[in-house]
Amino acid sequence: MAADTALGGRDLLARIAEDQRARRRWFRGKFALVWLVLIGGLLVLLSATGNIDPAWYREWGPYILEGTGTTLVICVTSIIFATGLALLGAFGRLSPRPVVYSVASLYVSLVRGTPLLVQLYFVYYGLPEIGIVLPGLTAGIIALSFNYGAYMTEIFRAGIQAVPRGQREAAEALGMPERLIMRRIVLPQAVRIVIPAIGNEFIAMIKDSALVSTISVTELLWRARRVGTREFRTLQAMLLAALVYWVLTIIFSYFQERLERRMARSDR
Amino acid sequence: MIPMRSAAYLAAALILAVACAGPGATQAPTAAPTAAPTPTPGPTTAATACDNLAEAESELLATICERGKIVISTDADYAPQSSVTPSGDFEGFDIDVGEEIARRLGVEAEWSAQIWDTIIAGSWSGRWDMSVGSITVTPDREQLFDFTQGYYYAPAMVAVLEGSGFTSIDDLAGEKACVGEDTTYLYWIEGTLDLGQPGIIVRDAPEGMTAHTLETDANCAEAMRAGQTEVGQVFITAEAVIDEAIAADTPIEKLGEPVFYESLSVAFDKNGPEHAALLTVVDDIIGAMHEDGTLTALSMKWYDKDLTKAE
Repeated sequence: MAADTALGGRDLLARIAEDQRARRRWFRGKFALVWLVLIGGLLVLLSATGNIDPAWYREWGPYILEGTGTTLVICVTSIIFATGLALLGAFGRLSPRPVVYSVASLYVSLVRGTPLLVQLYFVYYGLPEIGIVLPGLTAGIIALSFNYGAYMTEIFRAGIQAVPRGQREAAEALGMPERLIMRRIVLPQAVRIVIPAIGNEFIAMIKDSALVSTISVTELLWRARRVGTREFRTLQAMLLAALVYWVLTIIFSYFQERLERRMARSDR
Repeated sequence: MIPMRSAAYLAAALILAVACAGPGATQAPTAAPTAAPTPTPGPTTAATACDNLAEAESELLATICERGKIVISTDADYAPQSSVTPSGDFEGFDIDVGEEIARRLGVEAEWSAQIWDTIIAGSWSGRWDMSVGSITVTPDREQLFDFTQGYYYAPAMVAVLEGSGFTSIDDLAGEKACVGEDTTYLYWIEGTLDLGQPGIIVRDAPEGMTAHTLETDANCAEAMRAGQTEVGQVFITAEAVIDEAIAADTPIEKLGEPVFYESLSVAFDKNGPEHAALLTVVDDIIGAMHEDGTLTALSMKWYDKDLTKAE
């Protein structure tokens, strides 16, 4: 009798698991279906207005898409510089020295308190008046780096502070010098904590990089805009540009999610 | 507390990278040799301006000859004067004229794509050497730029939305018109247009006309085509721009005769590097291009009519 019940119980558990899997499959199926219907429906509606011309995409698509490379170069370069700035900023924000702390705090406050577009114009149009003339691409990378560096400063600061105090104390007890503790004990753990957040910033930056089109950098949006105006096909041009930004963020979100899961695993 | 050494490394890397990304390494996609070499009628000048360059002059001309290229700005939203091509180059009347000037200088043309109001604001900070951008000479602009003689004349026309019911320019009193920011068309509406000697103002704007300005002229055509009512039912710009918009099925029609003829010139930044010699040389090149029929041929190619002579 008892054995039977146990068997029945296992059977039941298996059935529940199977049921849950089926439910998940059903959910995913519905999810994909809804997206397909919505996106497909939108495209069909738009084409029905007669404003979508596939031949136009064949002619101008490659030209617009070529801007993706510039967009990615801007983002990758800027996120690297921003990470460096953020690291410096975080040390500053955690420094017991008043001058260092104030400088870092001013940087964060000033940059986070002004629009990115103003910063872009400042670097590209403003600085030449005092003799600093930068090409659009350099100006864009500098502005984006400084802007994101400020936001990421707070991320790094939080990351460093999130490393349990015991880690530092243990290292101190072993007689490790201050710098070594930071480099060997605190930073490696902090970096692990902030990497997912950096991924988020990168995804946000992909979209913000479109602002660089206003300072004559021929990236994705710049190209879509020129072609749209020239051919009076802004709807199509913007659709394509939006699609590229969207796909880029989906790709990087996917990698970021995986990264996050890996990071979480090592926490267990 | 702060790992100073790594901080220093980071700072050094940042500065280095910014320095490396400086002029030259960037903006590669903006510059590309344009369209097929222009079919040049008339004699091909044997010696270019750079060949004849006297001893080292501390002049923009010498700088350009030495670096072997001249950087020319263009607003690529101005078909048929300047626009992008699928291969990533620029094409148009202004582009062909600029390429020809560069050829006769004996250097290559590099195009710097800029927004119209950036070009017309002056103080280019040396980002580009000259503008072949259909700029109308006005006394105000002469404060900012040094101009060559005109390389062509553009008739300014009024266009209205089809079905708007306007039959003459006089009907437009009190109407709102869409024009590009900082254009002579805006000044005409405001009643402040002064074309100086080479231009001809045929008539003043009707009483009480107001302007809705967009970044550049083509945006007006775009907005009217899209049915944006806030820009008004009237569009004032160069006749060629209107023709281009009509060819692209924009529901507008020309109204009346041209309201003024503007002389369009090559411009140099007054606040830029010393450029008196370059101005003279380019002015001579334009004179020669008038004489040997090059400009007429290019005008026929892009406008189907000869706009190089005063009306």
